[in-house]
Amino acid sequence: MRPAAATHPSNSSSHRQQEPRAANPLLLLPSSRAAKLSLGCPILDRLLSGGLPAASVTEIAGESASGKTQLCLQLALVAPLSPMSSSCLFLHSDLPFPLRRLRGLVPQSRPDLLDHVLVAAAHSTSDLLSLLSRAQHLLTHPNDSLRRLPIRLILLDSIASLFRADFDATPADLRRRSALFFRISAKLKELAHRHQCVVVVTNQVVDVVEGEAGNTVEWSSGRRVSPALGLAWANCVNTRLFLTRDADGPNGCSRRRMKVAFAPHLPERACEFAIRRDGVFGVEPSER
Amino acid sequence: MEIADLPICTSYRAKLLAAGYSSLASLSAADPPRLARGTSPARRTAHRAPPRRQTLPLDSPLRPPTPIAAALLACDEIARVGVDLNIEIPEAEDILKVAVCANKFKGADGPSSVLKGSQNAWDMLSDEQSRKHINTGSGDLNNILGGGIHCKEVTEIGGVPGIGKTQLGIQLAINVQIPVECGGLGGKAVYIDTEGSFMVERVYQIAEGCISDILEYFPHYQDKAPSGQEKLKPESFLADIYYFRICSYTEQIAVINYLEKFLGEHKDVRIVIIDSVTFHFRQDFDDMALRTRVLSGLSLKLMKLAKTYNLAVVLLNQVTTKFIEGSFQLTLALGDSWSHSCTNRLILYWNGNLRYAYLDKSPSLPAASAPYAVTGKGVRDATSSNCKRVRVM
Repeated sequence: MRPAAATHPSNSSSHRQQEPRAANPLLLLPSSRAAKLSLGCPILDRLLSGGLPAASVTEIAGESASGKTQLCLQLALVAPLSPMSSSCLFLHSDLPFPLRRLRGLVPQSRPDLLDHVLVAAAHSTSDLLSLLSRAQHLLTHPNDSLRRLPIRLILLDSIASLFRADFDATPADLRRRSALFFRISAKLKELAHRHQCVVVVTNQVVDVVEGEAGNTVEWSSGRRVSPALGLAWANCVNTRLFLTRDADGPNGCSRRRMKVAFAPHLPERACEFAIRRDGVFGVEPSER
Repeated sequence: MEIADLPICTSYRAKLLAAGYSSLASLSAADPPRLARGTSPARRTAHRAPPRRQTLPLDSPLRPPTPIAAALLACDEIARVGVDLNIEIPEAEDILKVAVCANKFKGADGPSSVLKGSQNAWDMLSDEQSRKHINTGSGDLNNILGGGIHCKEVTEIGGVPGIGKTQLGIQLAINVQIPVECGGLGGKAVYIDTEGSFMVERVYQIAEGCISDILEYFPHYQDKAPSGQEKLKPESFLADIYYFRICSYTEQIAVINYLEKFLGEHKDVRIVIIDSVTFHFRQDFDDMALRTRVLSGLSLKLMKLAKTYNLAVVLLNQVTTKFIEGSFQLTLALGDSWSHSCTNRLILYWNGNLRYAYLDKSPSLPAASAPYAVTGKGVRDATSSNCKRVRVM
């Protein structure tokens, strides 16, 4: 196969525009902080060297009540105030939408922040794919009349619950399942790249049985756990953050950690954090 | 070299000279039957060639004519030429062989090979020995790879998420640009990103790490080359990476097809990295046979590009679990037939808390493994200080 421009020299100028163009990485160098979305806490931002990167998919994995949803809600409220100044698209598959927790996080002085959180429920994988197509339309043709900030943050909470049902453990179903992972991830990455969005996906954990090689394994609440959906899904995200918790101590207060399991731009490292009434915050080692 | 110096029987030498073959260049354009018949190239192009027995320069404009023209000329010559070499075809073949050999050792170029485009193994060996390798950043890794990533070959690198495939890819895109004076290739890189893991801030860090290492090993590099002052900057390293972001497998096929044209225009590209070749081929393909055909088509195309433009092709691959003999084992994605598509295959894996690389397939090197580390400066040797997997802030 020849490039299109070579076979049609007569209208090569119109074809030339369709040719893939090499980008100069120098021009992609982020204009300081605008390309990272702050988590709203300097210690956590330092862990992620500035925040969550745009044009990339970040997974937040952790067991239930580890602070995944809380972190998402916090991001949704930080996004309009951050240098990125964006609305947020919150796709949730865990019903119902945690509205009460969101309202608890909104500062009294800024009830308008809720205007910038767009919520949609995804009940199945096909729901999610059609929602993403509609999101793509929304992002390409922004509706100026609504006076809304552009959407540059997409949250999906959580990917694992979409796959809890509908799939048997047969090889054919497993193959269908992993093909769906890659399709969803490709769609998310395309949105992230074309519109410079921050994409955050939360994931649950499963207990590690023997033979679960290759995937991230962590200790949390005294269990050996690994993010759900297996190795296939691990290939679908750019950055994986793991929220873990130490086994409950005698006084009932346990330490929580946020760990960078893998990331193209960060070394593996961790930091402690605490969930307070007003959000998720990092804890300096000396403070504890 | 003259016919007179050829190590052949003196009577043949005299006959050749008498028939008008005076230089090796003229011999190399002849084929055995014609030589045996005694038709000389000088006479075939008599209207513009110098007279008989005069030595033609090696780079004389004599070229083997096109087949139809040759046939016409041959008829013409048989009618006109009376001189007969009077030797058998096998002997003519021997003479030609000796002539070709002599030509090779002389290092003369021109239409030297009997079969156009073919190359003998001796040439290939010396060519391979003089070829430079792309440094991976880790000495141990270079050792098991026989010096580094080879040009003109396709190398596949696979491993689990987070093992450092992308880091190695970025490192190679930077290291290919190490100036020739510092033992590098001084080339440029093409980076085809299908997953969105190419983080520019990381590339910048790795470029800085590479520059600081160059200045450590070649402390006088900056003083020696006044132009080096502006050359060794992370920005210029970044500017010499051509970056393509791919969002679907159709785009991936299109870019690989377009590469041929692109590389024709950018001859200084020495490495093409695809990170990863797999991602878009793990969705929407119900027909696995079709997928295999498309992929092997791509890999053939890449091999051809690697040979034609003298560059290294590095394909990053993912890992998948496969059910073998009652247990799940890790293998590289895309199936068994894909594993034939690459010349070299390097598998990255965790061994405890250390990163290891295993050379799984290579045409010339034994299977071996070596530890490496991913540090702030990029891919380096595993030492006690930088092998730790977890660093708690």
